[in-house]
Amino acid sequence: MAGRARISGLLLGVVGGIGALLFWTLMAIWLKGGGGVISRLPTPLAVGVELADYARGTLWRDLAASLQVFLAGWLIGSIGAAVTGIAIGRSRLIEGIFGPIVEALRPVSSIVWVPLAVVWFGFGFTSKVFLVALAVYLVVIVYAIDGARRVPPDLDRTATMLGMTPLQKFRALVLPAALTQVLVGARVALMSGWGTVIVAELVAADYGLGARLIAVQQSYDVAAVMASMVCFGLAGFVMNAIFSHLEKLMLPWRSEGGA
Amino acid sequence: MIGRLAVSRVALALIGLVIVIAVWQWTIAHYGLARIVLPAPLEVGHTLLGLIGSPPFWRDVAVSLREFLLGYAIGGVLGVLVGILIGERPLVRMTIGPVIEALRFIVPFAWIPLTVLWFGTSLTGKVVLVAYAVFFVMVVTTSRSIATVDPTLTRVGTMLGMRPAEIALKVHLRAAAPGIASGAKAGAALGWIAVVAAEYIGASAGLGVMITNASMSLATATVIAGMIVIGIIGALASWLIGIATRIWLNY
Repeated sequence: MAGRARISGLLLGVVGGIGALLFWTLMAIWLKGGGGVISRLPTPLAVGVELADYARGTLWRDLAASLQVFLAGWLIGSIGAAVTGIAIGRSRLIEGIFGPIVEALRPVSSIVWVPLAVVWFGFGFTSKVFLVALAVYLVVIVYAIDGARRVPPDLDRTATMLGMTPLQKFRALVLPAALTQVLVGARVALMSGWGTVIVAELVAADYGLGARLIAVQQSYDVAAVMASMVCFGLAGFVMNAIFSHLEKLMLPWRSEGGA
Repeated sequence: MIGRLAVSRVALALIGLVIVIAVWQWTIAHYGLARIVLPAPLEVGHTLLGLIGSPPFWRDVAVSLREFLLGYAIGGVLGVLVGILIGERPLVRMTIGPVIEALRFIVPFAWIPLTVLWFGTSLTGKVVLVAYAVFFVMVVTTSRSIATVDPTLTRVGTMLGMRPAEIALKVHLRAAAPGIASGAKAGAALGWIAVVAAEYIGASAGLGVMITNASMSLATATVIAGMIVIGIIGALASWLIGIATRIWLNY
């Protein structure tokens, strides 16, 4: 019974996907004569051909450049957030002084920082890494603070009773709790970090998928623009899938909640 | 007791502010940074005051706000409607769901060059972009909140002789309201950033354009002042939506 429901669900999904492609194709044919606002809409087939061309060409070099920026920023942001988050979460004094600063920075998305990053670091690698690190930091810090405070009071008292020194308590209780949440935050930050890579590369375009996107946009090649967008989506999807899987392996008790 | 706690909180926050400004000033003095790299805090303050007194600045704010509000309204309404359909009808969920999931991974920012090609640097392009960003946030939160409504409520509705459409609108939508409200807040934050990003990359007027122009002419004080304004407007928008949804939830 469950198997049949799954098959019919899959079938409906395929129908939906084909329907969307069909609608897109019809729109492309209908708009071919140059009607309406959207004057240039290539067919899905044209985008597919463009994608295959790109995959035989410079796609892998561009992807590698974007991933490099992303990974560097993501690591720096996560580690920075873990360190400062634990400090803010464990010390009332530090929280009182720096908590409001973090709170004031958080609503300003890292994307807003793009022009300033260009002034400070130019159009190269550094400014993009800075932006991605900032984006990831602003997400992960919330999880790190929360995790550092999550030590159950019972455990804390028991540890004191057992005569653990503050350093031992920190290593045995605080660090695991905080790092678990940092890991969760790092996955949540995947998409905002990846989105920042896109904007940073669109503005400071030298290498990468975003640079390619701007280059083909400037030559009015709509099919190539859409092919690059698909690459961005696919890369984001693959990274999310890998990390969700890793999270399940490393934190098996979390995935049961369906979070 | 509580009064003293509040006082110490404010005092500590002030200490934090003083540290930030001191480090800022010290960095300028120590590295001998030029004004175009990092202007002094006081200069940024002056620039901010100057901006508030200038009409062109308010025109830019108005342009950005109009793009945001139009896109937010369109994307929000469409997103909630489609979200209800997906949450209520398994058939719709299984057909449209995968398409929406696939599109969700193409983040709004990747659409910016395409909207510039299609709609130029006009208002329409930004409205479409914001609507796209908000739409997906609202579809996901609405359908998820409706899918998790307590089944007892549905049974009570059926027992009272309500039609499915009535149950959807009067029972499910009410029960899902808190989830939708938090989605509305998240959507506002994302939509506002989408406006700013779109204006950085291709636009003819707006706050983002003002900032990129200032950055090109190395008027860094204006860049920082503009960033502060963007942050304040973003925080205000999500605060206002928080209030509006709270009023709606309490009626």
